[in-house]
Amino acid sequence: MRASDAALIERIVAKDEAALAALYDRYGRLLSSVLCRILRDKQAAEEILQDIFYQLWSTAAQFDRSRGSVPGWLVVIGRNRAISLLRRQVPSQGEELQENTVVLPFNLESAVAQEQLLGRVKGALEGLPKEQRAAVELAYFEGMTHSEIAARTGDPLGTVKTRLRSAIETLKRNLQPETA
Amino acid sequence: MNGHPTREEDFDLYAIGALEGEEKRAIESHVAECAACSRRLAEAQGRIATLAWGAPRVEPSLTVKERLMSQIRSKADGRALISPSVEAERGGGFFRGWWAAVLAPVAVALALAASFLWRENARLDRQLAELRANMQDQQKQLDYARSVAHLLEARDTVTVSLAPIPGMANGAVKVMYNEKMGMLMYEGWIEPPPEDKSYQLWVVPKEGTPVSVGVFNPATSDTAHWMTRVPGGVAAKAFAVTLEPAGGMPRPTGPMVLVGPAT
Repeated sequence: MRASDAALIERIVAKDEAALAALYDRYGRLLSSVLCRILRDKQAAEEILQDIFYQLWSTAAQFDRSRGSVPGWLVVIGRNRAISLLRRQVPSQGEELQENTVVLPFNLESAVAQEQLLGRVKGALEGLPKEQRAAVELAYFEGMTHSEIAARTGDPLGTVKTRLRSAIETLKRNLQPETA
Repeated sequence: MNGHPTREEDFDLYAIGALEGEEKRAIESHVAECAACSRRLAEAQGRIATLAWGAPRVEPSLTVKERLMSQIRSKADGRALISPSVEAERGGGFFRGWWAAVLAPVAVALALAASFLWRENARLDRQLAELRANMQDQQKQLDYARSVAHLLEARDTVTVSLAPIPGMANGAVKVMYNEKMGMLMYEGWIEPPPEDKSYQLWVVPKEGTPVSVGVFNPATSDTAHWMTRVPGGVAAKAFAVTLEPAGGMPRPTGPMVLVGPAT
């Protein structure tokens, strides 16, 4: 029977190497993909990938299993680290601890669930008008703020704010968990 | 900020990192004091985190996992070795200085050799990882080509032509669908949709509600083809393309643009 993320974290706390390997197999590819997309440098991405799973091994006891999602934590921490590297900044330890309670609206412990979400997210992003999609990608994958996006695209700040808000409303509507 | 953020999207905009200055500080100071909004922010961070699944898929090199497992083992071994080495140092006395003089050049030479070997090993690791990545890419392309071939060769694959509805966008689309395999291939062209709309392809089953196959937004009227998985065992009565709000909908809500019966 497939172990849940929470059960694997319990075993990692007890220093079970196989549990860490199982979580890596479950989410390593996801994290590698987002890190490579942000950094566009596979070697740098893989260094962060290894570092984050090592951090999970070292600090699993601090992970709030009742509130936080493991893939949510991995993705948020990975994105923060990659964007900090991109901007030559030092990630804030305080911020990393807060990410302990990221609540993902989906259960992604099976490969099938991850495949389904992948299809939905790609579809939702591809369905956005071109400018909205570009704004989302600049914010999410390049870590840009409203004014940085405006500077990059040459659009007025107000337009960028409206565009990103509309995109987020659309994504939120289209990525809602399906109710049975 | 004195009160709660008035718009739910403010949390998502904070989570994606777009807010700055006073807008950002207002959310941070409010969330620090409000448990309900702290929870809303955690949910927004989760929603935004799902965008990670939109990144093009990149398999990590196989060596990453090997290095990770070696790292955790070496740290564990390292802890066990600390005490003996400290004990040896404590017992050194007179001989420590003499041995140090003899061994220092040897240690430097060993360090240089180790450094060279480490770099060489890292280079070979990278080469190996690249070769494995190339092999995986080729394997994926081969798998895709095999899937297409299986779909096209299967006797129970149906090919359906979708015709345009008069007055709607022009286009010509064919779908090849295999109910048992749960696979569908789209091939054809259609005029680009309006800016705030998307096309969505549906399997209309013999019983029940339409099943979404995919949302697409062609930028030109060029021929496109793609293949996707659909839930297996859906007996199709027809296939249809509808015009939906950008990003698509869980159920069809917009006008039908193309349609074709499965039989």
